[in-house]
Amino acid sequence: MIRRLVAVPLLLAIFVFAFFALDDFATLYNDFGRVYFQENGFYETGSLNLVTGIYLDYRLFDTLFEAGILLVAVTGVSWIAQHEHVEHNPLFMLDRFKIPELFVSFARIIYPVVLLFGIYVVFNGHLAPGGGFQGGSILATALLILYYIDLNKKTNLAQLFFIEKILYLILLSVSIVSYFTRGELFTNVVGPEAGTLWQSAFLITLNVLIGAKVALGLTAIFIAFLKEGR
Amino acid sequence: MNPYVTLVLILVGMYGLISSTNIIKSVFMATLIESGVILLFLNLGQWNGGVIPITDDISLAIVDPIPQALMITTIVIGSTVTSLALIISIKIFHNHGSIEWKDLKK
Repeated sequence: MIRRLVAVPLLLAIFVFAFFALDDFATLYNDFGRVYFQENGFYETGSLNLVTGIYLDYRLFDTLFEAGILLVAVTGVSWIAQHEHVEHNPLFMLDRFKIPELFVSFARIIYPVVLLFGIYVVFNGHLAPGGGFQGGSILATALLILYYIDLNKKTNLAQLFFIEKILYLILLSVSIVSYFTRGELFTNVVGPEAGTLWQSAFLITLNVLIGAKVALGLTAIFIAFLKEGR
Repeated sequence: MNPYVTLVLILVGMYGLISSTNIIKSVFMATLIESGVILLFLNLGQWNGGVIPITDDISLAIVDPIPQALMITTIVIGSTVTSLALIISIKIFHNHGSIEWKDLKK
């Protein structure tokens, strides 16, 4: 109780200070980066979607570690979730009598649509809103729907991790290739002079790799939760 | 969206972190603060308005793509951190039989 009484005036004070500080926020901001990316982004990266252009070309180094953090987190979750005794099928959550029949029937209809939409978002990431991370999340959602359709489904987690590690290694090696072709690390394999078509081939490759990795990682996290919440 | 709303969101999350009695609630409040930070950064990119940054037309006024590219990183990392926190809280519940802070402090 005392804690809350102290907290409320403190937070109000923070609110008042931050309220007036936010007025200066607009003056702190400069748009040099925005102007640069608008003028050169499409030519240098070959990506119409400037956000994709930034995180797959200018800041590819950052994206690699982001994918690495996802891998580490998935490993941590599954390591914490492991336990000695025999795994039971998590029927507490996937009980036939608790899930409405309408939901199962509708999931069967919507599952291929969601899968197709996820693949579309991954492949179109450089032309439309989307990309590897967003499309990967949609694909993972589709795979989770599969768990509601087929109650006795079993997934080999070790295989899932193996594929994810291989995908991360491929991602690393694809981003290092530019050192041998252009002499620059962590950027597009071909330069701007090769044309948009070849540049977008590189972007699609990276988006597909990241999308598959994110989808597998999120699925692995979900399965770990299912097993732990027995 | 107004940046002052994101400020309120962050402060509500802080108050929730201080006053919550439950591990799950604390995790959700941390997620709330993270959402506020994400919205604040996205506001920073479109302070003066603009169209979506999917164009090669130089004459259009686009919103800043840099905060959006940074916030993708934040969203992915935030979701992984949340999942780690939740799995640890499940483990704590299995080992101690409770996820209330006052029971765990004993």
